Amino acid sequence: MSNAATPADWANGLHLTAGPYFLGLYQPSPETKDFWAGVELRELLLKFCAESGNWLHPKRIVCPDCGSDKLEMRRASGRGKVYSFSEVHRAASPAFAKSAPYVIGVVRLEEGVHLFTRIIPGSAPVKIDAPVQVDFRVLELGQLLPVFVVAA
Amino acid sequence: MRSDIGSKTAIVGIGRAIAQKTDEKKTPLQLGAVAAVAAMKQAGIKRSQVGALFTGRAPQAYMMLQYNQALLNELKIGPTFNSEVTPHGAGALGTLQLASLALHAGVIDYALCVTNEASGLWMDQVGSNVGWEGDLQFEAPYGCTTPALYAQFACRYMHEYGITPEQCARVSVENRRWALDHPHAAMRHKGPITVEDVLNSRMIASPLRMLDCAVWYPGGIATAMVVTRADLAKAKHQEATWIAGFGQCTTHEWVGERMGGFGYAPMEDGPDLVNTGALVAAKQAYEMSGLKPGDIDIVQTSAPFSFVHLMMLEELGFCGRGEGGDFVASGGIDYDGGLPFNTMGGYLSFGQVAQGLYNLHETVDQIHGRAEGRKVADVEIGMVHGHGGPLAAHSVMIVSKEPLQ
Ligand SMILES: [Zn+2]
Repeated sequence: MSNAATPADWANGLHLTAGPYFLGLYQPSPETKDFWAGVELRELLLKFCAESGNWLHPKRIVCPDCGSDKLEMRRASGRGKVYSFSEVHRAASPAFAKSAPYVIGVVRLEEGVHLFTRIIPGSAPVKIDAPVQVDFRVLELGQLLPVFVVAA
Repeated sequence: MRSDIGSKTAIVGIGRAIAQKTDEKKTPLQLGAVAAVAAMKQAGIKRSQVGALFTGRAPQAYMMLQYNQALLNELKIGPTFNSEVTPHGAGALGTLQLASLALHAGVIDYALCVTNEASGLWMDQVGSNVGWEGDLQFEAPYGCTTPALYAQFACRYMHEYGITPEQCARVSVENRRWALDHPHAAMRHKGPITVEDVLNSRMIASPLRMLDCAVWYPGGIATAMVVTRADLAKAKHQEATWIAGFGQCTTHEWVGERMGGFGYAPMEDGPDLVNTGALVAAKQAYEMSGLKPGDIDIVQTSAPFSFVHLMMLEELGFCGRGEGGDFVASGGIDYDGGLPFNTMGGYLSFGQVAQGLYNLHETVDQIHGRAEGRKVADVEIGMVHGHGGPLAAHSVMIVSKEPLQ
């Protein structure tokens, strides 16, 4: 091995990325672990505030209306409508490239909660206000995730 | 309550450092330190006079805790008030807003504001940016890209107001024309483009095509500004650019999270994907300055996709809600005769640096007749919009050649 010092160029050739996402990881946190446990059972759970009757996103820690932190997990209908969507042609990473083009979007559930999700054209194409139904599929990173399929 | 802070503070020194991809590689800290020294030099102040140091969010290419301290350590200054201003793209202008508040409160005489980023030299920005703009648990696993996150807004905005891809494309065309005149613009050598070019470019995430998207700046830029009070600006400094008004509003973290928002401006009645914090920030800035949209001579907006420019033209008050498409299609921002808009070429053709004050720098240069690209005649008042994605954090600042009150 040569003793000659090589000039430091520490990032050349290295693919600097932005953290766990690029390792294909997601990390359920204490406030979301019950949601993900529900997904494993193929159940779509949302947070619910019994105090004010609000359905809330699975991440919520406190109810924005009454401030209660006693939120319970409650099973949602799984039915909703497409609120917005985009057909992704340039995939997020090589793992997703084989699926492109795929549709991701925001679904408004009957309970009034919006979820960001994969939308799968079923017997009808994806468009705003199209009715959708939850399903559970293993997506590109190997995770079981709630997705929404366009209903007829 | 109307604040009396408008025109009570002024920018009295500016410094900049740029490294292009073809230059020797530089870190954000290197660029930031050089820019800061240049700004202090132009203002004619010694480092012992720096009362406050405000920096934007730690650069993506130099992520560390206490970045602000790394910079002050390099500069050998001992500010009595320092902070990173975190609403990312909006935090750049936020540094001057915080500086103005501290100056107006009388706790300091001079503030140094620095933004610096060199992710274009060190990182794969296309691949990594979504890590900052998407929720790792609830969005990223679905295959999010940055364009696909913004496309959610585009989908609703175009649906609700009948905005067409042709109208959006017009923004890309006009931005490019300005960039061709600018010596540092990323796309300066790429020639003009047409609406057809935009509509025929590759689909990235519907409805956004390649030429609807910002180009990441292929380099690094640091901008530093020295800000002081009106009395000092008048007594001790040859050139001042007055901070006439400012505003700021941040509404959410992620796109999906935004859709759980309600009960605060601009989503009093419930969530949507069309009303952003720019609406609120612009209102604050106009009220503070006593100005109205018709008084503004030049506008820079921080908009990474063509449709965002239309939304911002509406929210900054240059046309009515939903009229951005018609405004642009009928020549509202034409290079020839329209509102001077993104006079370096904007994010679409100058290039986007993840955070920065370079849009404000350009506006100050235009006001004092020394713009590096095409000069706009007789600029007295300029507006700058800064934004952190996905359409989450917004700052608006109005600057003027003379104090307004
Ligand atoms: Zn409640």
